Amino acid sequence: MTDLTTNFAGIELRNPVLLASGTCGYGEELVPFLELSRLGGIVTKTITPTPRAGNVPPRIVETAAGMLNSIGLQNPGLEGFVGDKWPYLARLDTRVIVNIAAPTADLHGEMAARLEEVEGIAGIEVNISSPNMKDGGMLFGCSPTASRQVIAAVRAATSRPVIAKLTPNVTDIVAIARAVVDGGADGISMINTLLGMAVDWRARKPVLGNVTGGLSGPAIKPVALALLWKVSQVVEVPIMGMGGIATAEDALEFIVAGAAAVQVGTSTFVEPGAAADIVAGIESHCEEAGIARVEELVGTLRV
Amino acid sequence: MNQTLPAVVDVAARVTATTEVAEAFFQTRLQVPDAAVEPGQFIQLRPRPLEGTYPYLRMPLSVSAVDRERGLVDVLYELVGPKTVALRRVAVGDEVGFLGPLGNRFPEPTTGTTPILVGGGIGVPPLIYLGTTLRTGGRHDPILVVGARNAGKHLPDTLLDPASADVRRATDDGSLGHAGFVTELLTDVLEAGPAAPVVYTCGPHAMMAAVARLCAGRDVPCFASLEEYMACGFGVCVGCVVERADKDSQPSPYGHYARVCVDGPVFDARQIAW
Repeated sequence: MTDLTTNFAGIELRNPVLLASGTCGYGEELVPFLELSRLGGIVTKTITPTPRAGNVPPRIVETAAGMLNSIGLQNPGLEGFVGDKWPYLARLDTRVIVNIAAPTADLHGEMAARLEEVEGIAGIEVNISSPNMKDGGMLFGCSPTASRQVIAAVRAATSRPVIAKLTPNVTDIVAIARAVVDGGADGISMINTLLGMAVDWRARKPVLGNVTGGLSGPAIKPVALALLWKVSQVVEVPIMGMGGIATAEDALEFIVAGAAAVQVGTSTFVEPGAAADIVAGIESHCEEAGIARVEELVGTLRV
Repeated sequence: MNQTLPAVVDVAARVTATTEVAEAFFQTRLQVPDAAVEPGQFIQLRPRPLEGTYPYLRMPLSVSAVDRERGLVDVLYELVGPKTVALRRVAVGDEVGFLGPLGNRFPEPTTGTTPILVGGGIGVPPLIYLGTTLRTGGRHDPILVVGARNAGKHLPDTLLDPASADVRRATDDGSLGHAGFVTELLTDVLEAGPAAPVVYTCGPHAMMAAVARLCAGRDVPCFASLEEYMACGFGVCVGCVVERADKDSQPSPYGHYARVCVDGPVFDARQIAW
């Protein structure tokens, strides 16, 4: 039996497979399809200081080997989350990481401080990478200075592990990764979606109501692997890898490239039980390869 | 309205037949272990991709007939894109991923009411299932009003007859039935003064908006089954949303948009900002 337990920045995970933010809601909707206790954990849909309506539809369009979304962080807000969503999440037999976004660095800190009063949260993932937020998200994640400030504000307000979620839509992702570690990040999640667009040429209109959106799915896996590998070469903190992971083989590729854990995102939309299948697949592949502990595989890429 | 809905299953379904029933309209029959789908609910199918991972997302489809005893579910679809082409290509005996049933159902009309089903194009199939179910119960005689671009696009009588003994057809080009819109036929039906009419509608957005407006103007209850671009189908992606008519009275902006997949697909037409 391969030991799948993983310590990610101090978070003890049953295995290195989590559900990515924005693809598992607040847990409840997936219960008919997936035993969440079989996973390492889940990352909640992003919450913001106040409730948000989200973007004008259409918000979804399929593209080659993937999809674009421009949901725009429709969410019940911090207090709505704590009051209505957390009680269910708190009962889950899996680690729950709460993903936050806000329009200023200080507000990120205030959110983390408020969440400090909530028992049972395993860690805070900071969304400085949403391409669908006009007042935050990627606005911060494209600037090393702003990224550092946001992470430092969260770091100062919480005792929990802080994970910075990075955008691939930058010139130099290594500079951003260094900045968030500088700001006190205990770990990095990467990558968020790539900025993309779909066009209806007959109507001369964009397909998405928000004009642009974020590209996810198998189409982005090679991009994610390359960026993750580059960042893993220069930072000491552990990395959660994501971007088009659909199979156990995909997950193992990320682990070998430097990911201490992985997140399954868009695949859940297509196969809601995908993450549990990936856990089982990692276990059987590792056993066949005679690997005693999955942690031995992390970052073993020979270049 | 608050009937318990059948449990959702994530299984493989076997294709037992695919036939062309109208111009570029196909019917595929699926063998599903526990074929429990209520009228108005939908399913997410995953046929083998045409190549590699394309198409990638599942295809949401309404259901036109269910035979629970034999474990059969029928879907009707127009060949309009890669997903429908992929489903059309599945050979008899091969399997497709079947996720469902998903979403809510058409509310059951109360005794003494007259259900009027108004469908257009690919919106007709769920109304066939609704009409058939209402008639099987023996308590209702629904009127079915269907519209299509032309005669060739109309579903055949053999499919429509089980749903209603009173089928009225319209075409855009006048090649079959009334030349014009289904709303004109619906006006005629309502003018005749049926007992306590209740309208159920599914079809192109503009058609449903017109039906909803007509019903609102006459104080006739109207339930619409909506369609939107959809990814997951079970509520997590929040992609398939529609704007609520009462968004300004919602307690927070979080409630401005409703998810078609889990809050619908059937809505009281007055709830939607058409």
